[in-house]
Amino acid sequence: MSQTAGRGRAVSSAIGVYVLVLLVLQVFLLTVAVDAMLGDDPGLAWVAASCSGVLAAGSALFARYVKG
Amino acid sequence: MTDTPVDPPKWRRDFPYTSGGEDDVTRREFTRYLVLASGAFATGTVAVAAWSSLRPINHGKPLPIVKLEAVPVNGTHLFGYPTKDDPAILVRLPGDRLHAMSQKCTHLSCVVYYEPEKQHMVCPCHEGVFDARTGKVVAGPPQRPLGRIDVEVRNGTVWALGAQP
Repeated sequence: MSQTAGRGRAVSSAIGVYVLVLLVLQVFLLTVAVDAMLGDDPGLAWVAASCSGVLAAGSALFARYVKG
Repeated sequence: MTDTPVDPPKWRRDFPYTSGGEDDVTRREFTRYLVLASGAFATGTVAVAAWSSLRPINHGKPLPIVKLEAVPVNGTHLFGYPTKDDPAILVRLPGDRLHAMSQKCTHLSCVVYYEPEKQHMVCPCHEGVFDARTGKVVAGPPQRPLGRIDVEVRNGTVWALGAQP
């Protein structure tokens, strides 16, 4: 394996970890939305949903740069 | 830049065995699964938000609760509102001020009780404390106030008029 290929794999792994972190944030946002629903606060639930959508879009964007 | 071969990592030298399917899931595939999960979470969160906007909330109908004289000053009366399965508490504070609120703690739904010395509602499960006049959180893990119930006295009887979120 060449150094360049090794570096590429490291970058891909780092992106994968970053996407994983975004996923964890989405789990948190889901709990926020459920809590807002139980508290009859739809405004907060929609804010959480919007943020979760942005994170999903970011994950899809980052995933395009993962190789191998 | 020249590409020079890199030695395999030490763990690979120590354990130079491969299994049949160990390379079946590539980084790209694994990340694709993560993105799918991410999309599912986003969809779920949007569904929760939509449900919280659309779901019907039972605010209750006007209902007689108890005779005012039956509730001691700085005492309480327990009742169910908006349905008999929803525990609620009526507090008669000094000065004939009446306050009613849901008895379910907004943290994990334990039943709160009235502490007359401090005029607080206290949740025994995780020591959540609420103001008995407003239902607002005074201390502890709850983040939201207790649900308020509007009450008034009609001909000596306390009536619940409707629950507020």
